[in-house]
Amino acid sequence: MRHVGGARRGLDMWLLQRASAIYMAVFLLVFLICFLAAGPIDFVTWHGLFAPLAMKVGALLFVAALLVHAWIGLREIFIDYVHFLVPRLALYLAFGALYLGCLVWTVDILWSVK
Amino acid sequence: MSTRMNRQRPFFLNLLAIRLPIGGVVSIMHRASGAFLSLAIPCLLYTLTLSLRSPEDFAVVRAFFSGGLGWLIGLGTLWALLHHFLAGLRHLGFDFGLGESKELARKTAWLSLGAAIAVVGLIGLLTLTGGAA
Repeated sequence: MRHVGGARRGLDMWLLQRASAIYMAVFLLVFLICFLAAGPIDFVTWHGLFAPLAMKVGALLFVAALLVHAWIGLREIFIDYVHFLVPRLALYLAFGALYLGCLVWTVDILWSVK
Repeated sequence: MSTRMNRQRPFFLNLLAIRLPIGGVVSIMHRASGAFLSLAIPCLLYTLTLSLRSPEDFAVVRAFFSGGLGWLIGLGTLWALLHHFLAGLRHLGFDFGLGESKELARKTAWLSLGAAIAVVGLIGLLTLTGGAA
């Protein structure tokens, strides 16, 4: 069977894995600072954290980076442990569909905060 | 001829008998914690939904994580995240050529392993005695 994707695909994924990791690390630190600055956490302060548009966009990008990162990471695990092409590809695509659904769900979660 | 010889090279992957160096232990735990977190994503999103939906559901989430099995699940997930974060920073350093010497790599391996356990242990102790998660 022909290889799926080109020879540069591995490098793209390698780079995307690092770039998403760096964005997540920076966002988590910024979020932690906002979280601590918000004072004692109850529903009102927690809800309020996600009210600004900047936080919604930043958090959505965080989840997008998380999903890409997880998908590439799982792909590496599947390549190491699932040695037959069909189940490997099926798992890879199933998680792709699941994670795409998670991304749409996240838009709904974040933008339902008024 | 040469391909035949390559196929018959010694193959030894008994994980119970291999003694991994500390960097190998941190690396395999990085993979295990990453796999766990990947599978936990839908659960984490559901938790986020509940926590933002209404004050009542927020209280349900808080009650779940403040004691018993939920407390353990929360601490376990936090440890997986922190270990993955710290070991990941270490691996990112290697990509940039930082900390690649054997001595330093072993030190940062112990450091990332120990720091994640220490921080989660501390949070566990604080929430155990204080009760206010």
